[in-house]
Amino acid sequence: MRVKKTLGLALAAALVLSACSDDGDDNSDGGGGPDTADIRVWINGPDTPQAARDWLKTEFEDANPGSTLTIEEQEWEGLVERLTTALSSDDETPDVVEVGNTQSSTFTTAGAFSDLSDEVGDLGGDDLLQGFVEAGSYDGSTYAVPYYAGSKYVFYRKDLFEKSGLEVPTTLDEFVDAAITLKEDNPDPANFSGFWFPGQDWRNGVSFVWDAGGDLAVEEGDEWQGTLSSPESVAGLETVKTLMDQASGAAKDGNEADAQVPFCNNEIGMMSVPGWMTGLIDNADTGCPDMMKNVGVFPLPGSDGSPAPVLLGGSNIAVSANSPNQDLAKDAVALMLSDEFQTILAENGLTPAKTSLAPLLGEDEFAQATIAAATDARLTPPAAKWASVEGARILEDLFVAIANGGDLAELAAEADEAITDQLN
Amino acid sequence: MALTTRPAKSTRNRTLADRAPAVRKAMLPYGLLLPALIALAFALGYPLIRQVMLSFQEFGLAQQFGRPPEWVGLQNYRDLVSDSYLWVLVLRSVVFCLVNAGLTMVLGVAIALLMRLMSTPVRLVVQAGLLIAWAMPVLASLTVWTWLFDTQYGVVNWILERLGGDFAGHSWLIEPMSFFLIATLLVVWMSIPFVAFTVYAALTQVPQEILEAAEVDGAGPWQRTRLVVLPSIRPVLLVVGLLELVWGLRVFTQIYVLQQAGGVTRETNLLGTYVYRSGIGEGEFGVAATVAMFMLALTVLLTAPYVIKMIRDDREMA
Amino acid sequence: MNSGRRLRTRTRVLANSLGLVVFLICGFPVYWMISTSFQSRNEIRSPEPTWHPFGGGLDNYRRLFEDGEFLDALKISLLVTIATVAIALLFAFLAAVAVSRFRFRGRTSFILLMLVVQMIPAEGLFISQYKMLDGLSLTNSVLGLTTLYVACVLPFTIWTLRGFVSALPVDLEEAAMVDGCTRVGAFFRITFPLLAPGLVATGVFGFIQAWNEFTLALVVMTRDDKKTLPVWLSTFSDANRGTDWGAVMAGSTLISIPVILFFLMVQGRMVSGLTVGAVKG
Repeated sequence: MRVKKTLGLALAAALVLSACSDDGDDNSDGGGGPDTADIRVWINGPDTPQAARDWLKTEFEDANPGSTLTIEEQEWEGLVERLTTALSSDDETPDVVEVGNTQSSTFTTAGAFSDLSDEVGDLGGDDLLQGFVEAGSYDGSTYAVPYYAGSKYVFYRKDLFEKSGLEVPTTLDEFVDAAITLKEDNPDPANFSGFWFPGQDWRNGVSFVWDAGGDLAVEEGDEWQGTLSSPESVAGLETVKTLMDQASGAAKDGNEADAQVPFCNNEIGMMSVPGWMTGLIDNADTGCPDMMKNVGVFPLPGSDGSPAPVLLGGSNIAVSANSPNQDLAKDAVALMLSDEFQTILAENGLTPAKTSLAPLLGEDEFAQATIAAATDARLTPPAAKWASVEGARILEDLFVAIANGGDLAELAAEADEAITDQLN
Repeated sequence: MALTTRPAKSTRNRTLADRAPAVRKAMLPYGLLLPALIALAFALGYPLIRQVMLSFQEFGLAQQFGRPPEWVGLQNYRDLVSDSYLWVLVLRSVVFCLVNAGLTMVLGVAIALLMRLMSTPVRLVVQAGLLIAWAMPVLASLTVWTWLFDTQYGVVNWILERLGGDFAGHSWLIEPMSFFLIATLLVVWMSIPFVAFTVYAALTQVPQEILEAAEVDGAGPWQRTRLVVLPSIRPVLLVVGLLELVWGLRVFTQIYVLQQAGGVTRETNLLGTYVYRSGIGEGEFGVAATVAMFMLALTVLLTAPYVIKMIRDDREMA
Repeated sequence: MNSGRRLRTRTRVLANSLGLVVFLICGFPVYWMISTSFQSRNEIRSPEPTWHPFGGGLDNYRRLFEDGEFLDALKISLLVTIATVAIALLFAFLAAVAVSRFRFRGRTSFILLMLVVQMIPAEGLFISQYKMLDGLSLTNSVLGLTTLYVACVLPFTIWTLRGFVSALPVDLEEAAMVDGCTRVGAFFRITFPLLAPGLVATGVFGFIQAWNEFTLALVVMTRDDKKTLPVWLSTFSDANRGTDWGAVMAGSTLISIPVILFFLMVQGRMVSGLTVGAVKG
């Protein structure tokens, strides 16, 4: 009886105490949120290494006693739906979210994120990847800051190069020639690609447009205009067409997924893919580890000998505007952009958000290619409605049409019209 | 079905009490409807009403996050209707729907008729096959089908090559007609089980005596089927056919997944993918709502003759 | 008579062969799914198709269970689906009875409404539905998701059950009432058991709808421990790193099993059930 009573009192006391401490949260500090809270951070996919996640949690909880940080891993699939609903809910909103750079523009312009302009200087200022900062900015203010960038470079077959007497190309012209030579020298299998270029692969195609001086779309005053039919862009598209016609054996309406499959089947001489493809090839279940000894990499060369502009994947992070814990969320963001955290990312092959940390990626061929590619990394136009251009698959359709033969100027003009339509 | 009166009790003079049960009786159907109505009103009522309202607003992602929406009256509808691309989609979707519904019904009924003629073990095997096809998660079945028809590594191309055709690297999706052929194959494959099961069940109810009487009268097997069996299951055919039409116009997942795999998106869009792309793809929820309303109107128009027939049958029954 | 019997045998043979063709066409993709679930990723997508079904190992299945979330997701899916089916059947049964056994104002409108609601594309509704649940703090709850699912399934269920109920002759109930039952008693003692097959048929349809639904589950259940199976399965398709096809197929196979089991259990009932009333109307 006495034991039960004691327990009962203890329980009651605990309840009272917890109730009291809840009330303590009310002390306002100018609307930045309570002093202690449970911060929820949404990270997407498996890219962020476990070491980084652990570091973040430990550091945050040490610096903010009484608060906790929970990382909730999200999937890229369905992310937009989840963000659209969760970010607009006062109760359910996460405090910090990771978004792909295309989605950064969309949600930034929609007002889903808090203004981080005051913090940008401390977070890295000019050292941050500028393209990513642009993607997360609107009307002069920054709402989403870079988190990390992907890497993309050309994987090539060293043995096939040797057989054809080719050297690593240093200019775009050499690259195109090498691709065509490889295809001619390897008639078997029939779908061999000197440069693997599936029809839907606009993400690689855009590099050639940029290299020639053109662009996908440009802001003129208040409006965005599609610029694929400018002479420079068309010149870039000509290169695309040449490669697709003469150097690629990939499906003319195929997508760029699972490149390791044709690679491991000896159907590819060169391909431009994200850095994590190494992991896929080097794995007995998914690829062909035996072929790794024949694999080399180099950054896609531009016309002038320096690396060509490539479309980098990558993410930004932002604080949800509806989160009640603004100050703590900003602390978390600061930790994620700290040198220590970014170093862990770099050591795991992710291009850090601060360009000064790029050398931390390493010394080997792969790291060098990553660093080189990152020097001229670009993103899709930071237009508010760019996501709808991707949603309507205008670029996929354009490149598939190019792969299937068609008048370049006409196709480009049509695409421009569609893009301009969508963006305004 | 009229209210049946209660069994006669001895006459009493408690008029008030007599009236109360009668009122209770009149309220009974509404009472029975209440749970369903509440559930529907709660979970569908508000969203549907909001959907209608959205179609009259300019409501994008920014509005989702707090910016006030603008009421634009019929502007969304006007923009929609004046876009010639929409009418292309309407034509495509209606034709696709009719072809699919037609094929599904014909094949489904044929399979159901066949099932009557099979020996029992074979019939059970076929039923098992239909069940499994119906139960398979859509993502899995769509993925498998896109693999089978994959341009580079598909089994279909592989087999056709072995059989002597020139199908290496043949893309099944690049030509819109071919794309829709594959799409039809997928949609019909997924829809037949429901039709086959329902119609077969109806067929087992056709009284044996009528069939035998017709046989005695000299009707051949095909005539028996056409003139006796099918008419007697007409109500089922109507119900199932109507559902196939309604669902056929809303087809989305199959087209969407196929578009990722290949083909030209603009040439292969149907109304279903258009709603999705205008909605989530663009974050333009007002426009998406307008398209949804339009699709509703279209579906009502398409199925009006069916529905009228059903209401008439229903009135006769009662 | 002999020629008649021969004709019938020939017909039977023909029907049987066609039946097997149907089985092959229906079953082939399923076979492919199961076969793929045992293959390694580089066997799945390769120029030479791998025909043997069980040559591979159980690696894919092992990977599925690595993060330990499968069982939780299974639990949530079962809870939500069974609750949805049970509630929807109950509500729909009551509504179907009301609509086919009584005459009242608004009857035809209600039937039409049930049909029209099924015509509206549902893709855009999830945002409003989420907002609603959020306002009531019902996100991440089995109750919240079940409510939405019940509403999804009700129109079709009511529409179909109506046909079954109206086909059952009223005389049966009236006979029971003459024997002293109240109307309600007559329902539950006579009509309800005869309807069991019909309830089973619509229950199966509802089961599949709820079990495989993705978008609502995705946005309503965001916490890791509240995922449903379809959302769990999507964690293996990573748009960025390429999809783990072996795991996806293995997961799909696992997800199909409860549905197929449910089917097999009720299959006998379903066949006779869909007939009662369907013929008459």
